[in-house]
Amino acid sequence: MGLKTLVLVGNPNVGKSVLFHRLTGRYAAVSNYPGTTVDLSSGLTSLAGEKWRVVDTPGVNSLLPSSEDERVTRDFLLRERPDLVLNVMDAKNLSRGLGLTLELAEYGISMAVALNIADEAMDRGITIDAERLSRRLGVPVVSTVATTGEGMAELKRVLERPTCPIARPPLGPDLDRALEGFAPHFRKGEAAHRAVGLALLAGDETILTWAGGLLAPGSGERQLFEAAQAQRARFARPPRHLIFDAREAQVREIVADVLTMGGRIEPRLSQRIGQWCLRPWPGYLIAGVILYVVYLFVGVFGAGTAVNFLEKTVFGKFITPGVTRFLEALRTPGFVTDILVGPYGVVSMAFSYAFALILPIVTTFFIAFGLLEDSGYLPRLSVLLDRVFRVMGLNGRAVLPVILGLGCDTMATMTARILDTKKERVIVTLLLALSIPCSAQLAVILGMTAGMSPRVLVLWLTVLIGVTLAAGWGASRLLPGARSTFVMEIPPIRRPLLRNIFMKMKVRLTWYLKEVVPLFVWGTLILFFLDRWRWLGALERACAPVVQRFLGLPAEATQAFLIGFLRRDYGAAGLYHLQKAGQLDLRQVTVSLVLITLFMPCIAQWLIMFKERGWREASSITVVVMAVALGVSGAVNGLLVAFPLLVG
Amino acid sequence: MTQTHKFPLPSSARENLEEALGLVWHKREENMTEAAVLRKAMEDGVSKDAYGLVVEGGYAREIAGRLELTPEGEALGANITRRHRLAERLLTDVLSLDDPAVDPNACQLEHIISAEVTESICTLLGHPRECPHGLTIPPGDCCHRAEKYLEPIVVPLSRMRPGEEGRVAYLQLREHPELHRLLSLGMIPGASLRLHQTYPAYVVDLGESQLALEETVAARVFVRRS
Repeated sequence: MGLKTLVLVGNPNVGKSVLFHRLTGRYAAVSNYPGTTVDLSSGLTSLAGEKWRVVDTPGVNSLLPSSEDERVTRDFLLRERPDLVLNVMDAKNLSRGLGLTLELAEYGISMAVALNIADEAMDRGITIDAERLSRRLGVPVVSTVATTGEGMAELKRVLERPTCPIARPPLGPDLDRALEGFAPHFRKGEAAHRAVGLALLAGDETILTWAGGLLAPGSGERQLFEAAQAQRARFARPPRHLIFDAREAQVREIVADVLTMGGRIEPRLSQRIGQWCLRPWPGYLIAGVILYVVYLFVGVFGAGTAVNFLEKTVFGKFITPGVTRFLEALRTPGFVTDILVGPYGVVSMAFSYAFALILPIVTTFFIAFGLLEDSGYLPRLSVLLDRVFRVMGLNGRAVLPVILGLGCDTMATMTARILDTKKERVIVTLLLALSIPCSAQLAVILGMTAGMSPRVLVLWLTVLIGVTLAAGWGASRLLPGARSTFVMEIPPIRRPLLRNIFMKMKVRLTWYLKEVVPLFVWGTLILFFLDRWRWLGALERACAPVVQRFLGLPAEATQAFLIGFLRRDYGAAGLYHLQKAGQLDLRQVTVSLVLITLFMPCIAQWLIMFKERGWREASSITVVVMAVALGVSGAVNGLLVAFPLLVG
Repeated sequence: MTQTHKFPLPSSARENLEEALGLVWHKREENMTEAAVLRKAMEDGVSKDAYGLVVEGGYAREIAGRLELTPEGEALGANITRRHRLAERLLTDVLSLDDPAVDPNACQLEHIISAEVTESICTLLGHPRECPHGLTIPPGDCCHRAEKYLEPIVVPLSRMRPGEEGRVAYLQLREHPELHRLLSLGMIPGASLRLHQTYPAYVVDLGESQLALEETVAARVFVRRS
């Protein structure tokens, strides 16, 4: 036997991940946006001098699953049989939390309850008699404020005491009899037979695919399935509803017993701000202001000031010359010098792009995104944009991956998992690959257009928004399946804690450095050899008809698009150099900006796309992206040849 | 089994008559008034003497091979159709009965619910206009009154105004299993709520939490206004 396991289970957005961090010292990307923890994260803690494994599960509303997250959590409880469950709930939302607690009681696992966010409950005049609740449930109950650490010592103490499994509340004669009917199919003393039985009564048959290990000799999945069919046929109302009603009655009774409401307190400022952000007025104005501030921070400070300093001073004056001089002193052969500091050198190109150009941009973006996430603003943006997203066959929930895409499309492609239906996941993946520019690319593009007529930027933005809406609309028409409906919980506006923001930034930056920087190096090496063997020139000539005739661009631009596949911003940066050298006129700048934005996603995103969506979907998306990118850019070129004044 | 029907009449002849008129009424919705066809349908589906009951009782006349309802037949036909379809709504929406269980139960209910109970059900359901299968429910007096004088007590959330409060009466979840999520978010019958705004999405305060829903979802949450 390995370590004993403690698992955290609770509704979405109750501070589970912060608590997890408090217990383990490790940080799981915490957020205010329901459904962000998709994978199970695990860490270590010590209880009573013994090492324990701690597992954080995605937030769930019920263990009768209606989403992937809920299924993951439920299956974990049944298959891994943790030794102890810490049920985390939002103290100001006791009845919702207790609904889950009673479901957990069916699993026959020792348990403790944390009434988290106790400070907000107190602010709202809610008092919960923890001792009384503890007596009713038969398990220890502790009030905590995970963000500040209040109540943690008490919680750890309680977790160290052996706790007995919570009493299973009866569901009424009919359901209880039906559940007992399953008992003979399970091994003797099998604690989970009620939990499995409930899933089967509620019509969740996925459980049958692996329930075999729990069954008594002589019984099997087939017999269990038939027993479930027989039991369900005895109810006129769907058992799912009956189970729900029974639980609801129990919860109401407990809540009435342990909870007292103080006088209603005047809405606090944070609550009022929360309301303003949801309404069209002044919600859209607030959204505009926030967008502008984020742009100032990421686009002007991150991509301007910080990049300039790192690129020109740190790399331009110290690192690259330093390495060059070092290599000269060593008298290394020319090949080695070239591969490190030549025009396509690992240090001069890959490292300087990765650390000087991209790192400050993604860092500032992740800070800004973390602030928006932890303050509870993003779900409000989902509400404001729900109707726009519906045009594209999506709903407000898809706002999260798309906004994250403005930071890093690769990371956003993974986040598309939180969406309810496959159709929505495909549409979002397509939009991220096609028309959502990432922050690194955005920064270079904004830099390029800075000294020019604002009409270039306006035209670029118009084309981009148009393509996004049209592609989403088209995809939603062509793909089978229905749009899922928009139902979302809006968390209160909270003051983000800087400590948590920086933790989260650290986790994301580590990911970035580990996953993306190696790709930079590989990409640069490929370019280096292409250049050395003079294939770059050959490729340029091969693409010339399309690039020169159809798009009206100089042949050198081909290179920028090839590089663009490695990193989108790489490509944009290539164009930047061409433009600075005076090789592009306004029309060509506009066309190439449109093309570089729409064209292939970067190689990291492309690989993730194959991993997440499978090769069939990913290659279809690739073909669509290439066709749309070339078609639209060609059309823009034609338009500008006919009406040069649009940008001039 | 002892039958304890109290209303309208404790006779199976009355039930057969109602059943037959309901059939004629429904077939007319589908543009089928041919007397021979209707006669056959009644003999197969209701009873051997049903056609006779209808024609001899003066509820319908045969004119040039077509069966036409008299004013009495019209009124009774509309009435029984209304009761049947309201019963279906009640069983589907409020009691969430499984589909195969709805029709047989509705068929029994329709004969035993009195005019007052019919009106109460209709009001509880917010004077619905269509049955679960999408057929029109003939409006009753209570529906006309509601239009003129007062607003229904139970309305879909989508018809409430911002600032209004109420308690969840029931949810229509049958054709929308994904809306079970609403239940676990605390949107359950009896929960009190306050509608905050309706645009760009519906936002409700529900206990200490706040939920945003799109309009199609709001139309499936029925609220008893307070």
